[in-house]
Amino acid sequence: MSITDPPRVAGSDDWNEDLFVSGADWESLEDAVGDETITVNMGPQHPSTHGVLRLILELDGETVRSIDPVIGYLHTGIEKSAEYRTWTQGVTFFTRMDYLSPLFNELAYCLGVERLLGIEAPERAQAIRVILTELNRIASHLVWLATGGMELGAVSVMTYGFREREEILDLFESQTGLRMNHAYIRPGGLAQDVTDDFLDRINQLLDYLPKKMDEYEDLLLYNPIWLTRLQGVGVVDADACRDYGLTGPLARAAGIPWDLRKAQPYCNIEQYDFDVPTETEADSYARFLVRLEEMRQSLRIVRQAVDALPGGPVMVEDDRVAWPAQLALGPDGQGNAPEYIRHIMGESMEALINHFKLVTQGFVVPPGQVYSAVESPRGELGYAITSNGTNKPYRVHVRDPSFVHLQAIDHMAAGHLVADVIAVVASVDPVMGGVDR
Amino acid sequence: MGLESKIPSGILLTNLEKFVNYSRSASLWPATFGLACCAIEMMATGAPRHDMARFGMEVFRASPRQADLMIVAGRVSQKMAPVLRRIYDQMSDPKWVLSMGVCATSGGMFNNYALVQGVDHIVPVDMYVPGCPPRPEMLLDGILELHEKIKHETFADHEAVRA
Amino acid sequence: MSSHTPARTTPDGLDGSPLTLEQIERLIQDRFSGVACNLQHGELTVFASSSNLLDVLAFCRDDDQLACDYLADLSGVHWPAGDRVIERQTSTTGWPEFRVSRQRGVIEVLYVLRSTYRNHWLRVSVGVDDQEPALPSATGLWETANFHEREVYDFFGVTFVGHPNLVRILMPDGWVGHPHRKDYPLGGVEIPYKHDKFIPSPEHRELREVVE
Repeated sequence: MSITDPPRVAGSDDWNEDLFVSGADWESLEDAVGDETITVNMGPQHPSTHGVLRLILELDGETVRSIDPVIGYLHTGIEKSAEYRTWTQGVTFFTRMDYLSPLFNELAYCLGVERLLGIEAPERAQAIRVILTELNRIASHLVWLATGGMELGAVSVMTYGFREREEILDLFESQTGLRMNHAYIRPGGLAQDVTDDFLDRINQLLDYLPKKMDEYEDLLLYNPIWLTRLQGVGVVDADACRDYGLTGPLARAAGIPWDLRKAQPYCNIEQYDFDVPTETEADSYARFLVRLEEMRQSLRIVRQAVDALPGGPVMVEDDRVAWPAQLALGPDGQGNAPEYIRHIMGESMEALINHFKLVTQGFVVPPGQVYSAVESPRGELGYAITSNGTNKPYRVHVRDPSFVHLQAIDHMAAGHLVADVIAVVASVDPVMGGVDR
Repeated sequence: MGLESKIPSGILLTNLEKFVNYSRSASLWPATFGLACCAIEMMATGAPRHDMARFGMEVFRASPRQADLMIVAGRVSQKMAPVLRRIYDQMSDPKWVLSMGVCATSGGMFNNYALVQGVDHIVPVDMYVPGCPPRPEMLLDGILELHEKIKHETFADHEAVRA
Repeated sequence: MSSHTPARTTPDGLDGSPLTLEQIERLIQDRFSGVACNLQHGELTVFASSSNLLDVLAFCRDDDQLACDYLADLSGVHWPAGDRVIERQTSTTGWPEFRVSRQRGVIEVLYVLRSTYRNHWLRVSVGVDDQEPALPSATGLWETANFHEREVYDFFGVTFVGHPNLVRILMPDGWVGHPHRKDYPLGGVEIPYKHDKFIPSPEHRELREVVE
């Protein structure tokens, strides 16, 4: 054979079928290849696995036969560390579990502790909790959209999602002091009251965000590439949802209209008017639609909550639990509540001792067990808190939705191609901090 | 490795070093090693508001063999430590490590059985950026300090003895 | 793989009629005579034993009135044997010390069952001896118990009989010990400060347990 020979053509006399294969001959070759499966490791360090998730894929050609998720690469021992800290210090630990929705972690924990204590946070604190957590839901969904888009190839969606999220983080920073991992929601109420320009900032956000959500819809809703990649991928029907314990957008995309904000309301959220979006297709595209609509509904809740924001204290008036959270700027630049300081320093020795004990040892929670759950952006986030009557938690177990949802990845992605595995993981939206704790 | 092994040692090469260091610092590509909350702030540093690309960190290379800088962003658990070391070993010289956040620097608030108390137990670190998580501006400050450090390096710093 | 939750035609949770906790308690006690229940903080806890655990869980799932289709949570709590002295800062408050004494160490495994049809939930609690803890696996009833039971095995050492793949899930393979047990140390290192001062690791710090 040399370059000057005429090219070989299939069907010609000297065409050797054993040596040359054209595209249509795959079926005849299959027997020669055998039916072994290849095991591929999508390791913990991978640009598309949403954090340190390791997926062991068993591939038959390019079809996935089974997936084995290996987790634990971010295990931090948070639950055990909290047993060596006071109840209030626990907030700073639990807030770092699901790091995309930290306020939800704090809220679920504080609701559980308050139930054990038998107290209720004041109304203003409840309303501000609702406002901040719903904004956190929007921020978390924006990160889901950004990273999900990037993983599927729509890289500019990453820039748009994070751009919007920065606006929400600006608000969080001005109120809580931190962009992430705030430790702002404390047992009994909030760490401190919101600033004076809170309403102005929120109204600015409420004007800015809906336009951007329209932009996302224009970009992605009927985008043919988006549709092809997401429709029909990762179907998990309602029965499988119940079996696997899937909640949140996954269950609502399968047609189960279950939302803890409606079913087991917390923080007086039942006074606000909002819808719970559900779809019936139960594929990744349906989950995308559900999350987009949830963002709009969260804006609706925030608008109503801001209009109806009551006045009053933001920390419970119970001196077994907390000191007043009305801080005023003192002459030394530190925040304190002048009347309270005058009371404990000048008027009452018992109050001083009480304040000292509260600061150094923390408050004491009566013995008991509770399970408090909130509707986090990913699903049902539950805290099973056990107290043995001391100033430290005895045992706190966190039921993280991402941990539960990862079990269903095998069910959702088996039979699909490798690229669809990425789409499935992106649509489940796991946060490995919550999975591994 | 690379340039250093081709040049005879013992000769003053200031201008060449300056040129090489400038090129290295101006186009330092990070490897994606986001682990936890700091990873989100790292992504936010690459986002439009605090754009990291204007300082040369244009793309996050997924493959460690194509990356220069490993930003360890987040808490390193005992299970993740061998993976971290393996990724570091796969990077080709010259390589730098920036430890972002207190969990990577020293174990952070998690002083317990589950975490490696500081990533410098596993890999040599060139820059520590504290914070929980550090603001994007802080991370940019750390990166620019690292650029300054790179600009003052000599060829001896990246010889093969570096473990 | 698991026997599926029976299909129902009752409307889904939001309009479903929840049973009161007393009604749930009565239903369970009628079916399983002598099972103890506890109502506290507006929550119902049913105390099962390892022999009737699967029956209780299956009854809660399959009964038309209870209709608990979700296993929301499966977790463990370790109550070790022995004496525990809880100090009450006697020097400043004058209160006596508080002693807790337990003969037998117990690992309490909690199952939170939720009904989206009826919009109620309850907790089932089982205690097993902490030396050789073993329980039947709930993976036959709900597939979601898979990861949860692996986690309880990893952190407490409870063996779930019938689990398809009972290996460690969050700790590295080959890790020795079960971290969330009370006899497992927190670990951690001393932090050196300036002037040769050392801050001990959290489990050795002076934060006393205080009881009111």
